[in-house]
Amino acid sequence: MTTTLALQLAIAGISVGSIYALVALAIVIPFKSSGVLNFGQGEIVTLGAYLALILTQLALPYPIVLISIVILGGLGGVVIERLLIRPIVKAPEFTLVIATFAIGVVIKSSLSVQFGDSPNSIDGPFGSTPIMAFGLNINPTSAWILTCTLLVSTAVVLFFSRTRLGRAMRAVSVNTEAARLMGIRVETVYRWSWAISTAIGALAGLLVAPLIGINPEVGQLILRGLLGAVIGGFTSIPGAIIGGLSVGLIETYSGVLIGSSFKNLVPFLLLMVLLVFRPQGLFGTGEFKRV
Amino acid sequence: MFETRLNSVLFLSVVALALTASALGSYPVYLMSLAGINIIAAIGLNLLTGNSGQISLCHSSFMAIGAYSSSLLTARYGLPFWLAIPLGSFLATLVGALLGAPASRLRGIYLALATLGFLQIVQIVIEEFADVTGGVRGLNVPKATFAGMYVSEYVRFLLVLASTGFAIWSATNLLSSRVGRELNAVRLSPHAAQALGVPVDRIRLTAFALSAAYAGLAGGLMAIVVGFIDPGEFGVSAALRQITFIVVGGMGTVAGSVIGAAVLSAMPELLRPVKEYNDIIYTLILLGFLTFMPRGLVTLWDSFRIQIARATSTKEART
Repeated sequence: MTTTLALQLAIAGISVGSIYALVALAIVIPFKSSGVLNFGQGEIVTLGAYLALILTQLALPYPIVLISIVILGGLGGVVIERLLIRPIVKAPEFTLVIATFAIGVVIKSSLSVQFGDSPNSIDGPFGSTPIMAFGLNINPTSAWILTCTLLVSTAVVLFFSRTRLGRAMRAVSVNTEAARLMGIRVETVYRWSWAISTAIGALAGLLVAPLIGINPEVGQLILRGLLGAVIGGFTSIPGAIIGGLSVGLIETYSGVLIGSSFKNLVPFLLLMVLLVFRPQGLFGTGEFKRV
Repeated sequence: MFETRLNSVLFLSVVALALTASALGSYPVYLMSLAGINIIAAIGLNLLTGNSGQISLCHSSFMAIGAYSSSLLTARYGLPFWLAIPLGSFLATLVGALLGAPASRLRGIYLALATLGFLQIVQIVIEEFADVTGGVRGLNVPKATFAGMYVSEYVRFLLVLASTGFAIWSATNLLSSRVGRELNAVRLSPHAAQALGVPVDRIRLTAFALSAAYAGLAGGLMAIVVGFIDPGEFGVSAALRQITFIVVGGMGTVAGSVIGAAVLSAMPELLRPVKEYNDIIYTLILLGFLTFMPRGLVTLWDSFRIQIARATSTKEART
């Protein structure tokens, strides 16, 4: 493998990986605060992609499309949290897993009834002519995705370390009851964690649409996002980002090194191995227990 | 005890079905065969999830293993179906034990993730080994023959019916045995069970293997009843459908599996006019039961039974 090829692959890997990183981030944030793993997060991404399609067809300029998707995504999260998650947040884990899964199926089937299964697509904001730099081809959409991922990750990290609400979220994730006794409104924290998570998910849908198209199966991304979250240790924000990027890199390199027919197996085999031998991930701090 | 009585009621109605089915046309017989297959799969999943308390998002994969291995044994090695189906079920059991070994150490969402990963692995293997399995285009299952003659639709239905009866009988006995009590103990309090000398991890593994055995049997039967299998039949939505069976029927009871699978197997027919909304309605039913009736339809039987008891003897009802 030449250096140029290796670098080219690294770029490809990082660009898909940054989408996985966003999905992983969207999975980890509500899990950290409320202990609910949203198995329907993939469908939030799909929803974001379809919103992008609708808004683009209305001939709105890209910045407005982007802002509307983030806001609508966040509102969607607030609605889901209030109507579906809060009534069962204390239910056994089985109920939560199946319920979030079911929410995803409802979104996916509704989209498939409404829009059919045929693929649609939108253009990236900067066209698709590759940029040549240092003898490497860089897809402008990929560069844009990476930029957004870096901005979002920085914003999330700053949010959790600097703002009052972010600190309240961390307090709730450490000890819900103690946080409540300290005057933190736990319900507000849950609501915001869902809003942030679904806003990021919907944004991921907008970003990924030019690369992989828009169809009801976009939500399959969640499997890679989950793997990213597992690698990152489920409760670590930087871990989720690094985890997502590594999944992209692993997938891209394994495609070249061991052939395309088995490349899809690699992430899942890795998932099984990690879950068995290191369920706390590579960045996590011990197993997360919901008591 | 009442549980057992409900099971015998169900068992008798299954036998009654067999007798009436001969008078029905080919299509209802086909549908009832599918219902029987769903019941067998649900019984397996319920042992794992309802009794031992382990989430599984890959029950449909064990059905796939049973279906594909029995079909391939028939197609490639000319094994008769009555040998291939039990072998397929046995293979599913082995794989179930293999998955159960690591999975029995995982809890909650980690187990959900591992089983979801396993489902994906099975799907990818079926799709990528297309020259053996037919890949995404599916596999035509050789017609079941016995003594050189094709087995008719009605006989295949009787076979499913006998298998369903066997599944109900074996699971009921299993649950009233030592293993059954250990399964429930492991769900209710793993620590207490451990302290009382129940080998928790081994019981969890046993639950995986047992549930895979039922799923493998259901898969093998499905292959000969439908005559065609493809990986789409055994994906995440199939796994979720099986979970819906046990949630709607009632977790942890054989009667729950039977009622849930039987009621919901009729659904696609009732919903034929609104076919495209099938998945949504199915999932909303699942969500509704999870939220408002988490113990399932069998609770209706319980309240019915209590009312009967009240009516017959007020004295007994008070105690």
